[in-house]
Amino acid sequence: MRLYYEIAVRAFRRATMYRIAYLAGIVTNSFFGALSCFVYAAVYGASGAHEVAGMRLSETISYAWATQCMISIGAGWIISDIGQTIQTGDVVTDLMRPWSFYGYWLSRTLGERLFNLLFRGSLTYGVGMALFGARIPTTADLAWFVPAVLLAMVISFAFGFLVNLTAFWLIDSSGVLTIANMLLAALSGFLLPLAFLPAPAQTIAAWLLFQAITSTPALILTGKIGGDAALRSLAVQAIWAIALSAMGLALARAALRKTVTQGG
Amino acid sequence: MRLYLTLIGARIRAQLQYRISFVLDIISFGAMTTVELAVIGALLSRFPSIGGWSFREVALLYGLTAIAFGTAEMIARGFDAPFERMMQQGSFDTVLIRPAGAFFQVIASEFQLRRLGRVIQGTAALSYALAGLPIRWTAAKALVIPLSIASGATIFGALIVFSATVCFWTIKLPEVFHILTSGGQQMVSYPLHIYQGWMRALFLSAIPLGFVSYPAGLYLLDRPDPFGLPGGVIWLAPLVAGLFFLGALRFWAFGVSKYQSSGT
Repeated sequence: MRLYYEIAVRAFRRATMYRIAYLAGIVTNSFFGALSCFVYAAVYGASGAHEVAGMRLSETISYAWATQCMISIGAGWIISDIGQTIQTGDVVTDLMRPWSFYGYWLSRTLGERLFNLLFRGSLTYGVGMALFGARIPTTADLAWFVPAVLLAMVISFAFGFLVNLTAFWLIDSSGVLTIANMLLAALSGFLLPLAFLPAPAQTIAAWLLFQAITSTPALILTGKIGGDAALRSLAVQAIWAIALSAMGLALARAALRKTVTQGG
Repeated sequence: MRLYLTLIGARIRAQLQYRISFVLDIISFGAMTTVELAVIGALLSRFPSIGGWSFREVALLYGLTAIAFGTAEMIARGFDAPFERMMQQGSFDTVLIRPAGAFFQVIASEFQLRRLGRVIQGTAALSYALAGLPIRWTAAKALVIPLSIASGATIFGALIVFSATVCFWTIKLPEVFHILTSGGQQMVSYPLHIYQGWMRALFLSAIPLGFVSYPAGLYLLDRPDPFGLPGGVIWLAPLVAGLFFLGALRFWAFGVSKYQSSGT
């Protein structure tokens, strides 16, 4: 356990090194946050309605900033970091090390994303609060948000791990990654609050894992769900986290059994 | 030009070698961009309009933008990752000693045919928009469409060159420039009048992204701009795009003159 903690700490520290990169990240995320705000202001303005699909303009704006603030924890898309090591063959070094392949990547990713959340994410949301009136979360919201966002990180990681590991069989996992990212963007509530989707799409989204990654923590931070509803959402997240982690571990074992190392 | 076609022909043939992978790439690329449009569609099934513009009208802007952006990405992709690699590995030295211009060699170093996915999808969106909109066609209006696309592609291409040139100082491609390319693409897929005054001013002058789709939209639909921008400015778009591209070329030449090899 100690080992994985140390890996996470090192990943966290490494992330602190790229100051310009995360500053650039904040600017980029804020720009996209601002764009969504203008679009939302324009659609609410044109309709004249105070509330649409249960969301007010101020809530939609806060929601947009919440999703932007969670991009760097894997709420918007997943990346091909592990897949690339499989494609190049570097993965062999990681597999030889005396630790769990899954545990290594999990702690490394969590360490890095914790930093991202604390600095990049919170500052991005801060920009939203300062310039666009994103809602200032209450202590109660934050108390629900912290476990929700941690679970979201675990689920997003496990999902990305499963997608990346297809490279053991396909060599190039970029096609699977594109499809996975498409589903994530469309059904997680990242591009649009799920409440705005057509009813059938909402039903599908409710039964899939993606909403547990983005929509749940974002709605909590926006103050749309709290109390019992938040507890229920957390339970759903926990189920997804356990199920996907188990699948990830199983897939890692299967991949290990089939890996043939080319000498040299 | 003959040399360019030969080099690009080789690139394209290379990409067509893995036929299934290539087809899947185009399909997944097209599908991903379809999600973008679906999001606009979902939003406009909840709201009557975006600042007075209906879904079909926004699809017109979206289509013009997607074709222009996709074309620019397809042609100028050499200034993205391949050029960054040249900078980081010092292979730009080789480029400088060859008997051809540096700009020519970088642009000929890559031609991403799979970006055709975005162009095809943009064409579909544009056709959908044109089929259902009550446009009173004239010869001038028919001319506006190719004119707008060519100008838009030139503007996006110039932006890609601008951001690549910054690489001469930063070595790494600055992430912030994604704001201007993919962020700009998203921004001008909506009518420009929904953005704040300073943004409209900026994007109709120094960074002329505003010319990519909005003026053509105003002109084709005979719509007035709420801030008095006449649809006739579309005739300025080629001039603005040309000047902007010349500026990018000058900046590129300046960057090349300041290039210091990494010395390896």
